[in-house]
Amino acid sequence: MTNNTTPVFLKTLGRQYYLFSLILLVIAVIINANLQKNFFKPVALNGMLITFLPLILLAMGQVIVIIGGGIDLSVASIVTMVSTILVTRMGAEANHQQVCIALAMGLGAGILAGVLNGFCVAFLRFQPLVTTFATTSIFTGIAVYVLPTPGGAVPRFFMEPLRAKPLEIIMPFWVIFLFLLLWLYLRNTKFGRFLYASGGQPVSAYYSAVPVDWIRFTTYVLSGGLAALAGLSQTMNFGNGSPLVSGDLTMNSIVSVVLGGIPLSGGAGGLVGGVIGGFILIMIQNIISFANVPNWWQTLVKGVIVVFALAGPGIIRVSRRK
Amino acid sequence: MTQVSLSAQHLVKRYGGVVALADGNLDVHSGEVMTLVGANGSGKSTFSKIVTGVVAPDGGQLLLNEKAMNFSSPLAARVHSIEAVYQELSLIPRMTVAENIWLGHEIGSWNGMVKVRDMREQTNQLLNLFKGVIPDWVTPDTQVTELHPSEKQIVEILKAFSNNPSVLILDEATASLDLRQVNRLFELVTEWKQRGMAITFISHRLDEIYRVADRVTVLRNGRTMASGNIRDISRQELVNLMIEGGVVQRKASTAKFQFGEERVRVEDFSTNILKNITFSVRSGELVGLGGLHGQGQSDLLLALFGSLPYFGKVFISQQEVALTNTKQAIHRDIAYVPGDRNNGGLLFIRSILENLQLPSWLRYGTPIRMGQARRDAHDIARGGLKLIMSGLDAPVSSLSGGNAQKVVIGKWLLRKPKILLLDDPTKGVDVGAKNEFYKLLADLQVEGTAILFYSSDDEELLGLCNRVLVLHDGMITGDLSGDLLNHSELMTASMGGSMEVNQ
Amino acid sequence: MLAMLLAVMLFILGGFVQPGFTRFEQAMNILRLAAFLGIIAAGQTLVILSGGEGIDLSIGAMVTLGAILSYGIVNQSDARILPGLLVTLSAGLFIGLINGVGIAYLRIPPLVMTLGMTSVVRGLVYAVTKGELNGGASPLMSAIVVKPLVMGIPGLLFISATVAFLMWVLLERTTYGKHLFSIGVNRVTARLNGVKVNWTIVSTYMLCSMIAAFGGFLFLGYYEHVFLNLGEKYTLPAVAAVVMGGTTLAGGSGSYWGTIAGAIVLVLIESLLTTLQMQDYARQIVYGLVLLVLLAAYGRQKGLRQ
Repeated sequence: MTNNTTPVFLKTLGRQYYLFSLILLVIAVIINANLQKNFFKPVALNGMLITFLPLILLAMGQVIVIIGGGIDLSVASIVTMVSTILVTRMGAEANHQQVCIALAMGLGAGILAGVLNGFCVAFLRFQPLVTTFATTSIFTGIAVYVLPTPGGAVPRFFMEPLRAKPLEIIMPFWVIFLFLLLWLYLRNTKFGRFLYASGGQPVSAYYSAVPVDWIRFTTYVLSGGLAALAGLSQTMNFGNGSPLVSGDLTMNSIVSVVLGGIPLSGGAGGLVGGVIGGFILIMIQNIISFANVPNWWQTLVKGVIVVFALAGPGIIRVSRRK
Repeated sequence: MTQVSLSAQHLVKRYGGVVALADGNLDVHSGEVMTLVGANGSGKSTFSKIVTGVVAPDGGQLLLNEKAMNFSSPLAARVHSIEAVYQELSLIPRMTVAENIWLGHEIGSWNGMVKVRDMREQTNQLLNLFKGVIPDWVTPDTQVTELHPSEKQIVEILKAFSNNPSVLILDEATASLDLRQVNRLFELVTEWKQRGMAITFISHRLDEIYRVADRVTVLRNGRTMASGNIRDISRQELVNLMIEGGVVQRKASTAKFQFGEERVRVEDFSTNILKNITFSVRSGELVGLGGLHGQGQSDLLLALFGSLPYFGKVFISQQEVALTNTKQAIHRDIAYVPGDRNNGGLLFIRSILENLQLPSWLRYGTPIRMGQARRDAHDIARGGLKLIMSGLDAPVSSLSGGNAQKVVIGKWLLRKPKILLLDDPTKGVDVGAKNEFYKLLADLQVEGTAILFYSSDDEELLGLCNRVLVLHDGMITGDLSGDLLNHSELMTASMGGSMEVNQ
Repeated sequence: MLAMLLAVMLFILGGFVQPGFTRFEQAMNILRLAAFLGIIAAGQTLVILSGGEGIDLSIGAMVTLGAILSYGIVNQSDARILPGLLVTLSAGLFIGLINGVGIAYLRIPPLVMTLGMTSVVRGLVYAVTKGELNGGASPLMSAIVVKPLVMGIPGLLFISATVAFLMWVLLERTTYGKHLFSIGVNRVTARLNGVKVNWTIVSTYMLCSMIAAFGGFLFLGYYEHVFLNLGEKYTLPAVAAVVMGGTTLAGGSGSYWGTIAGAIVLVLIESLLTTLQMQDYARQIVYGLVLLVLLAAYGRQKGLRQ
């Protein structure tokens, strides 16, 4: 007698695009927990969440742009730009009002950056790759102008919210959770449907009267906004700023998206995949440092692991065809 | 529905150097079905795209209810209640039937989210319009990738209808539908027309036109040639208006020549669709592949070209060969002409020279002896092909459809192929070019090339080929030649009726 | 050839803005820098021509690896130039092979594959050097590359001219070149015309990495010292040079002459900005803005509405 006993929950999970990534994440967590004795202790988990919140935020922004059929190479430079604006506008002695103004300026700058990107790619039809490479230069330049050398300071109370623990769980977790909820809502709106249509089949979407240009524009604005938040969280973490852009950060955001099972061609995937991918990357990083890999080998090992993780879906596809 | 009238006057559209529409005129009113007819490339699709705002016209005007209109985007046309079902499907593959039908005009609620349940219900009502002619497992939540092309076409039609348009344009909407589905569609069209919709039906199938149309407009080479009541024009007159060069010359040459030795033989040949078929073709023979769509004709040709894996044996001039990639096949002097010029025939942005020599560069050494390559290409272009071009270095995109198709076969003529495989090569080619194409085939036959020819046009098959192998369900159900080479035998074999196979 | 015109215009403009800009030495300087970028961008030209969203983001790291390998092996001895060069080129071929296989056979998007390989190559650099850089360029190398050879023109320019000639032969007079263009236009069509698509893709990425490694070798000859991450700043300018030169990112059409012109334009812009004595930050902003302006001319894609 054939009786289908697989619970509905597992069946829906099985159909999700991020299934492979989730499995990868679980494996990575297990390996990590084995190597790092205090992995599950709050002190370690919280530290990790605080340090890597920027990456997760950037990965989320990148997911949105990529689903829409584009790519944003300027995210790291936006983070830097916003961070420099924040520290210079605040200074260690700032009061609440000044902090608010600084926040507005910083976030505003990030959104304006997104507007520039979006305008060039969506309305002027520039190629996304070279465009965001050009804007990286612009934003980095602005960062250097605002803060020529590393430094700056922020008031003590400014750094606290990041480390706050509502309900005993650290703030970054809530931030990520909040965005995931927001995404769940967005995905079920007209905007969500338009987004997937515009990314996967822009011509068909256009025939269906979907405002493809505006959708693409919005994805870049959102990416800029999320990058600004990443800059905010980074500043809250370190308390100072630096005009030097971390070149790795952009690359990591893209790798996170791919590790999350989201195709670079657009039209598929979701925020959850990006978050999972980001955490996989973080786990890999942790594993390498805790596995006592000699310093000079760490980058190579990380690179090789990432390439294998990226190649994974491709290898599976090819072997399935045989 | 309120009374509506749409009038297009002197529409002009150019794509780069090519004139798609030179003087397009059409008008349609509530309660009638206007048909737009014309040969391939006459501008029918361009017409519908202008009316629905997808494409901007270079001249002329559109009048909706006597008021001049300018549709700057599909949204603008939709706002004025004009919808179209295009030839190219505009569905999003990864989305479901319901998501696709409602794309762009989803039912939203106060909180911004879309009302999935309401849309599902309405989608069900829409699907019910075609109940009985589409499988029951097609539901609002079925993903479009799982649908058969005919079902996708129906979803497209429902998508356009779901907007309650007052003007509906159906551009070759019956192309992939089966007979029952077409019947149902026409029932719906009649009902909609009585409710006041203005319907424009674009097609080249005469039977359907005479069934459903009230009036007709004829386009030829981008110009409206005539317009009037369908009852006032006979079929022959209609065809004459559409075609410029007269009727297609069926028999390419009546000269009877001797076929040579067996050139290619296929034994126990199987692919995904084909099941252990065996046949052979002699040098100089033109053998056609007949049967309904998708019975493995294209597969057979691709497999013989090394582009599709197969089981079984292939013999060329009595020697067994293995064909695992196209380079090998070409090396054995096998040539392949695809029906889809865009995907397989030509590199549009490259020059005529490069297209003609693409399979042959290796023969000119390293570094390539360009002078020789150019001379050979020139000889073929001016000589055998009689190509009308501005020069060997002009991009192939500058050629007209017929001339471009000549380049597709021309590149193989350069190599004097032993076996020529043709996959519906004259689809979309105008009459004059077709005749020249047939002449080239005849020349090749004289030189001893064995030709395998698949055509979706039965008339062409019957008129051109010495023999026709009919495929059905993966097997050869007919080997027709001589007296048996006629329409009814072809039909019977296509449907699966087993015939006397000519040995 | 718009790019060439632009380059000439910028050069003259520079002469007005800053007297002495058009002096011979200055011109040589600019050409030298452009030649260097141009050689590295040669490989990128091939990759982008191959279509399928072809791009190689690992060339920057490859330049670094090439330079460091040469540095270590040549070790200030003329006799070891040849082994140094051979090892460097082989390393390039090897990395390119991995890239090509991943892209052609595993269907990994080029952006992803080469991005991932960037950290692998960078990792190789760290691992090989363990943070210490021992070695040196040899006198002969510098003589060929950097010092004036004939009529005051440094050897690098002759090398770059040779590369340009070889690229022309490769693209226009070899079967590989013809096949490369065809796969850039349409892979299905290419296959149905006898092109071995996968093999062509793999060779292309191998050539690209090899040329980048060669670029690293030349870097050593030019600067006579190396440092970690020396090549990073060449990756995206190489892509920009190719795009400015008229090669579409979709592939199938373009030329190396365009890339050379693009490289010259980019270097000219940077030099102009430097001579204008703009501060660092202003230079960066203007550079980005100028790129955007150039994109308006070269990088616009087809609209949805026609």
